[in-house]
Amino acid sequence: MNFLVPAALGVAALAGPLLILYMLRSRRRQLDVTSTRLWEASEVQVTSAVPWSRLRWTALLVLQLLAIALFAFVLARPFFSQQTVLGPHSVFLIDTSGSMAEGDRLDRAKAEAVALATDLSEGNLISVIDAGPHPRVLLGHAREQDDVIAAIGSLRAGGGEADLSEAIRLGRGLATPDRPTNVIVFSDGGEAPIPEEPVAGATHIAFHDIVDDVALETLTIDATGGVTRGLVSVANHSGGETSVELAVSVDGIPSALLELDLGASQHAVETFELDAAAGSEVMVERVGEPDGNPLDDRAWTVIDQNEARSVGVLGEGSPYLAALVAATQGFELDVDAGDILVVDRGPLPPIDRPAWLIRPDSTPEGLELTGLVENMPATFQAPGEPVLDNVDLSNLVVAEAQNVAPRGWSPIVRAGDVPLILLGSIDGHRVVYFTFDLTHSNLPVQVSFPILGAALLHWLDGEAPGTVASGPAGAPIVISAPDGSEPVVTMPDGSSRTLTSDTASFADTSQPGVYRVTYANDDGTVTSGPIAVRSFVATEAGAPVRNIATSTGDPDSDETGVVVREWGPWVLAALLAMLALEWWIGHQRPWLGRAA
Amino acid sequence: MLLSKEMRSRLDRLALSPRGRVQALWSGGHASVRKGESLDFADYRPYVPGDDFRKIDHNLWARLGQVLIRQYEAEEELPLRLAIDSSASMSLHQKHGTALRLAAMIAYLTLSGGDRVQPVSTPGPAGRVVAIGPAGRHVSAWPVIERWLEGLEAVGRAPLSPAIRSLIGGSPTRGPVVLISDLFDDEWERALDSLFVGAGGLVLHVLAREELSPGFAGDLRLRDIEMGSVVDISTSQQVLSTYRTSLDQFVTNAANRARRAGLDYLLVEAGADAAEKSLRALLSAGVVR
Repeated sequence: MNFLVPAALGVAALAGPLLILYMLRSRRRQLDVTSTRLWEASEVQVTSAVPWSRLRWTALLVLQLLAIALFAFVLARPFFSQQTVLGPHSVFLIDTSGSMAEGDRLDRAKAEAVALATDLSEGNLISVIDAGPHPRVLLGHAREQDDVIAAIGSLRAGGGEADLSEAIRLGRGLATPDRPTNVIVFSDGGEAPIPEEPVAGATHIAFHDIVDDVALETLTIDATGGVTRGLVSVANHSGGETSVELAVSVDGIPSALLELDLGASQHAVETFELDAAAGSEVMVERVGEPDGNPLDDRAWTVIDQNEARSVGVLGEGSPYLAALVAATQGFELDVDAGDILVVDRGPLPPIDRPAWLIRPDSTPEGLELTGLVENMPATFQAPGEPVLDNVDLSNLVVAEAQNVAPRGWSPIVRAGDVPLILLGSIDGHRVVYFTFDLTHSNLPVQVSFPILGAALLHWLDGEAPGTVASGPAGAPIVISAPDGSEPVVTMPDGSSRTLTSDTASFADTSQPGVYRVTYANDDGTVTSGPIAVRSFVATEAGAPVRNIATSTGDPDSDETGVVVREWGPWVLAALLAMLALEWWIGHQRPWLGRAA
Repeated sequence: MLLSKEMRSRLDRLALSPRGRVQALWSGGHASVRKGESLDFADYRPYVPGDDFRKIDHNLWARLGQVLIRQYEAEEELPLRLAIDSSASMSLHQKHGTALRLAAMIAYLTLSGGDRVQPVSTPGPAGRVVAIGPAGRHVSAWPVIERWLEGLEAVGRAPLSPAIRSLIGGSPTRGPVVLISDLFDDEWERALDSLFVGAGGLVLHVLAREELSPGFAGDLRLRDIEMGSVVDISTSQQVLSTYRTSLDQFVTNAANRARRAGLDYLLVEAGADAAEKSLRALLSAGVVR
């Protein structure tokens, strides 16, 4: 036990004057009585040469000494230390990925975080990060427990995959210079490895409960050949056989009921025919008893338009481009005109439609050319960027590239500080900019090239009305609102969010389902925008749990790992009880006041 | 007014009933130590010349051959002496007022029975031991006695024993004595012993509630209002317990002493209703009928 104000223990010296008062002969109050004869046997011999007498211990004296001791104790603020993972500044990094929806992992994580938050000592700080697909700071450097608890309470699991690496980086960014910062990760670990393991200055609180779960992994629609077929992939993440019933609905109207038996840890694909037109919303839902994860019990899709989009190519062109367009389903090459324009080197034309600019002679607005650089290997690709899903550009090398300074453009692939691929917007049209010539790089021979090209074409086509863009839960929806209109996003639960006209993307898509974008114009008319289907990330269902390797930060620091619990309130309560007892004895029971 | 009209009319129907025989100057309704002319046979004695021939018992003379004279009981008035303690110790806690009301009650009871009452108070004026009040043998004397009682004040120091001796000694009559006092006197035992005259009597021991159950707290210097002596006490459970023990002993000894002297004893708690309570107690004890 220690004291926050040990000097206050000096108040206990008041016991000295109290004892002196008890030892000093009191000045007696004179009282006239009819006779003193009967009192003579009780007389106190007061004849003495000294003004004090032997100390007589009484109940009142003991209580008053105890009260003084407790008073000094309260003022000295006694406390005891307890080991805790909390530090002077703790960053709560709470995983809200789809796997945390299994069982009560997230609820337990939140409860654990709240329990730690109640240990928040005066002067210490807590920050809270929502570690979902797009980690974000919910609360920074908070001193109030209530704020921290409210922020923790607002968290809910989504269907996406947590980007723990980015969340940890975000947590490190909250570090305060005047005090050590430790990151506390509340997570089941996730499947994606963290590059910097063991994570220094962090603590992992794991939640490893395993529950039986049946997950709908994918739902796709094949409308070729005049017949519309649906394909749903189902996985059994339990240790035993199970029968699964799936209800299919089209635009909310029941359409089919599927039944299938799955063995332990078995995956199955079930096909079914649909009577649905383009633009219809198809949902497959598992029916029956709830299982361990409710988020993966539904799958959605929207039947896309079947009309092929044309891609016009200006400039020198290359066989790689022609092959890419021809190989991408839903797109066809049109040299003269096109819904999407590709400029492969040469002069920069006016941008009046979505465009893919490949090292043109001049740079568009927002990109300032500062020079040329040579022999640049790609060193960075933006994590979580939808167009880079399943794209690995780690072996990309560029012989020569423009060095541009972007303003309002988003570099998604860089070689050091030199942007290689950028996404942006010109006059409300989406634009992809390559700072290098395809033929002066090894990109066309990369395995990822057709995947990247198809993703870029789909992204460029995304602004067309009714275009359906599918992606994992948490992937942002790219929005390019026409001038003078406000985008409105209708969420899967039916609620809507009105965004500002300059909003470029909408990232609150962690809940699986269909997001519909419309544009409300100034004249009151509403036009359709893109439709985004966000699916539960299949790897989050039944994902193996793991411990994240961590290491404590500064081993010499004695400021972390200790929580101070004061005794003050308990001692104060004892003091008040003591004073009440002393008053009772002193005023209500005088015969207990002093022993003879 | 010491006695209310209701109290007096109630006392009119009652009378004192002393235990012993009296010796008075006037005939009355109480048995005397002397032989007299009443109808109650008392004893025989040998004839001596000069006796009334009519009192010779001829049947005994014929049977025994001895001339014997029949004797009869004498009935005389009750000469009651009433001693009131008016010392300073009676001045607190309504004790003296209670003593005066009790004295008035006894005096009126005596007068209404046609008996003689002689009230005295101690200490007397001008350093005398007692102050002798107006005597009376009829209820017509009540206003004078009441005025005298109302004029008494509780002041000064009164040694009880000399006062009792001066009250009894030298008197040709023998009758009951009623002492109304708190008995806070150095020689209270001797005072009670000297009350033994064979004619009975009554001790009304007046103590205040504050004396029977003191509620002191803290360190006190107690000053005896009569004697001037002081006692320092520190109140505690033990001190109060010791006091109660002393008080119990005091009251018990007083009752025993009184009975040994042939007196009835009654402990009276001072207060406005003390006379009423005392009368009920005396009735139940048979002292008043």
